[in-house]
Amino acid sequence: MKRGRALLCYAFFAACVPLFPYCVNRVFLETPIEAKMGTVQKIFYFHVPMAWMCMLFAVICGVAAVIQLWRSSPSAEAVATAAGEIAVITGLAVLVTGPIWGARSWSTPWTNDPRQVLTALLWLIFVAYLLVQRYGPPNADRLAAGLAVFGMIDVPIVYYAVELWKSTHPTTGVVGSLPSQMWSSLWLALAPLLLCTLGLFFVRIRQERLSQAMDAAWVAFDRVGSQPA
Amino acid sequence: MHAQEPLTPGTKAPPAPPPSNDDEWVAVEGLDAHTVKLKREYEAEVEQKVATDHVHVIWAYGLIWAIFAVYGAILWKRSLSLGRDVDALRSQIDKRVR
Repeated sequence: MKRGRALLCYAFFAACVPLFPYCVNRVFLETPIEAKMGTVQKIFYFHVPMAWMCMLFAVICGVAAVIQLWRSSPSAEAVATAAGEIAVITGLAVLVTGPIWGARSWSTPWTNDPRQVLTALLWLIFVAYLLVQRYGPPNADRLAAGLAVFGMIDVPIVYYAVELWKSTHPTTGVVGSLPSQMWSSLWLALAPLLLCTLGLFFVRIRQERLSQAMDAAWVAFDRVGSQPA
Repeated sequence: MHAQEPLTPGTKAPPAPPPSNDDEWVAVEGLDAHTVKLKREYEAEVEQKVATDHVHVIWAYGLIWAIFAVYGAILWKRSLSLGRDVDALRSQIDKRVR
């Protein structure tokens, strides 16, 4: 079973090897340049998948944190930790690429747009989650899990922010309104990014499970060693 | 241009002009030749910049992969550290067994 999971990680990374060059070729050379924004709109093809993945892993982290709080499950804790890290990584990618795109198309990298602010807040919640989990006092894992649940609640607010408040961001229906060539390139760009991220996610879960097992083994070893012969 | 006649109450509004086709050539009015030349040069420059603005795209794409590469390196370093921890525990157990 464990070997199967390791093979699954390798399969995800291996699938990325041919997909990435094909995806880059498709996005940059075969997909038409958008008429109003020009070449800079190409950022869309990796900014949007990154935002989707950030929200996906934030939800995974929140759900795993609920299970962790409910059942005190170390497996759920490992999943939550891995998902929290991936949410921070993808969130950082979103927060970097968005302002670069905005600097060119809106003439300013930051407009205090509701979705921008809420995405930054989501990212900060998960950074706080990781910091509390790593550097918090004993039993801080429960406090960290609570933060992850708050992060999960922020996800639908980020998604619907463009509908709820006045925003410079495109609406949620923009993907469906794209011409078929752009629409299909977006889904194609999502595939290698998602596979790579899933590979990293499963590697991180394995590491966290091993780390938990090592902690338990050290405690057991010290306990046996301290017992009188 | 359609001549604008003043409307009096009870008269019918004049028909709207036909929609202009963007591809049709339209004579420029109200601008001198020099201004028109400058405007066209400026528009061409903007069009060129929009079509060849690769810098922002390269930065965005490069930074995404830099973030992923750094995270991959952190995971690799963590796996090395875990491997060392396993070896340390194994050697401690061996010492105690002897």
